[in-house]
Amino acid sequence: MIDELEIRDLEVSIGQKKILKGLSLTVRVGEVHALMGPNGSGKTSLAYTLMGHPDYHVDAGSVTWRGEDLLSKKMTPDKRAQAGIFLAFQYPSAIPGVTVASFLRNIYNAVHHPKQPAADESDGAMPKYTGIPLAKFRKLMEEKMALLHMDPAVAARYVNEGFSGGEKKRLEMLQMAIINPTIAILDETDSGLDIDALRTVAEGINATLSPEMGVLMITHYQRMLNYVKPQFVHVLLDGRVVMSGGEELSHKLEANGYDWVREQVGLPSGVGDEVAEPVAEHV
Amino acid sequence: MAPLALMQPLDSNAVEGVSRDEPAWLAELRTEWWSRVEADPWPTGAEEEWRRTSLDNLPRDGGLLLDAPVATYELDPRLAERGVIFSDLASAIWEHGDLVRAHLGRHETLSAQMPFWARSLAAWTGGTFLYVPKGVTMDVPLTARTTLPSGAYTYLPHTLVVVEEGASATLLEEVSSPDGQPVWFGGTADVRAGYGARLRYANLQRLGDEVWRIGAQRVEVGQDANVTTLNAEIGSAISKVGMDVRMTGKGGSSRLLGLLAAGDAQSIDFNSVQDLIGSHTTSDLLYLSALYGASHASFYGVTRVRPEAKQTSSYQECRNLLLSPNAGAEPIPVLEIETNDILRCGHGATAGAIDPVQRFYAQSRGMSAESAERMIVRGFFERVVAQIDSEPIKARVLDALAARIGSADEAAA
Repeated sequence: MIDELEIRDLEVSIGQKKILKGLSLTVRVGEVHALMGPNGSGKTSLAYTLMGHPDYHVDAGSVTWRGEDLLSKKMTPDKRAQAGIFLAFQYPSAIPGVTVASFLRNIYNAVHHPKQPAADESDGAMPKYTGIPLAKFRKLMEEKMALLHMDPAVAARYVNEGFSGGEKKRLEMLQMAIINPTIAILDETDSGLDIDALRTVAEGINATLSPEMGVLMITHYQRMLNYVKPQFVHVLLDGRVVMSGGEELSHKLEANGYDWVREQVGLPSGVGDEVAEPVAEHV
Repeated sequence: MAPLALMQPLDSNAVEGVSRDEPAWLAELRTEWWSRVEADPWPTGAEEEWRRTSLDNLPRDGGLLLDAPVATYELDPRLAERGVIFSDLASAIWEHGDLVRAHLGRHETLSAQMPFWARSLAAWTGGTFLYVPKGVTMDVPLTARTTLPSGAYTYLPHTLVVVEEGASATLLEEVSSPDGQPVWFGGTADVRAGYGARLRYANLQRLGDEVWRIGAQRVEVGQDANVTTLNAEIGSAISKVGMDVRMTGKGGSSRLLGLLAAGDAQSIDFNSVQDLIGSHTTSDLLYLSALYGASHASFYGVTRVRPEAKQTSSYQECRNLLLSPNAGAEPIPVLEIETNDILRCGHGATAGAIDPVQRFYAQSRGMSAESAERMIVRGFFERVVAQIDSEPIKARVLDALAARIGSADEAAA
């Protein structure tokens, strides 16, 4: 078993529109990768596809995680999460009426104590609770909230309801810390954050990261990478990884934009960033 | 006693039979109401309130259940000493005859429900009586839990709740019955809160899957009184309830809450009138339905602001979560505003499926599609659940909901 997420020649479309056109990328446990690209290059589509969003159709290519086919039918989003994959959403969804504490305990149990379906569950009988004890969970949650400098009162609020952009991103990081995944995909976790919030969130990421975790940071800007240092930087243009390098590549992109990359790889200027990427949330 | 002796066809003989051993005033009252039964027409289906529920298949052959099941009525003796009465209605007519006589069967209700209101007042054999005298307040909720017997029958219990000036009470009435029994359950409730009184009245319906619940509730809210009603409808095949909420006293307020969870071919059909009669009254209605299978919920809600009802505030909101492509909902809000001098009068009505984005979000965190759905449905109900002040009542209601939506609360934290 190799601890790596291997994406090979991935082609993905949403509706009639082809978004990913042969993307290849490998993330090993213990590595931090940054995937950079302009709007519309396919960054969020990759994130959603890896997590199994039903609107994204895989036309060709493969994704394997520890040698297993991640794209197989039985790998529904919950199974992928249970297999150690985590996606921090760019636009996390609100869940009215469900408190953060209750949600976190549910997702902790879903990942760490997946329930064996009881034979009598179809009768509406209450399955035996086999999850983390409440006191132990509260302690874990409070610890992780402190790590992310979160107000403990957030626990009693409804998930993402009325949250500011920064609060949402922090809650994503809290979920990551609670779940403790093996592969974390962070989709534009820096967007919508002011500089202080960015620093706090980045500190939280650094505190959560471990040699037992592989990270794919998807970002438009370099600024996040000042706080969370990637070992590998990839450029996504027109649905493909067209260039890879070390951390210095991100600085070059920050200083010079993407046009020089296009030139170098033979893409016409502006290709892949002229239209906003269709995001399933809005279609 | 042979089972047959416990039932009689619902007619004037039955009413006479029921009142044979009762005080004369009650026999007269029953006869009076039976004359209304004979005068008031059975719904034709053309009435706005009866367009969505047909009574064609109402199980009417079973006969009147004479041997009514009696709930356990527990009351702190100190409250009994202060004059609180909490018992079954049939006992109360002997033990507190004058008081029952002063309040029982004094009012009509919505014309749509009159045939059923009149039948219940004429032929009731069970039901609850709660009387809270002036100034007596209590913290602990009272509970009247009834389990109906097996069999095919008509049962028309009547509940009478009178909370006098400055008094307060919380009452949960819970009724359940076995599946597979074609029963006509025609429970009615007459609820009154006097000047400055505070009442929480919850009704938890867990009837069997072949029961027809044809109910009527009349709620009168006096001056500066504060009333919350909750109808949690979980069981029955057909549930048709009319709510007649009369905001008679100046400054009174009411919250009308509903939690409906239905599946299979269940049908739930409410009609309501929030009648703002007194000035400075407030009435807010919030009904939430989660509909599975081929179930259907209708809500025909009228808010009426009378010309003399100045400075009122009212709202009716009806939200339906459709958990199957075959489930349906029909919320119909009607506002009849007869004065310009209002603070607020509005409505909101929706029917729709779970947002797939929400489901994907929860699933991406490891929750199965089913448990994600349970959690979302439970969250959907929270707006009403959070307003149930009494923890024991909240627990009973959540327990009943779990039978339909699954134990979404498996990991409350």
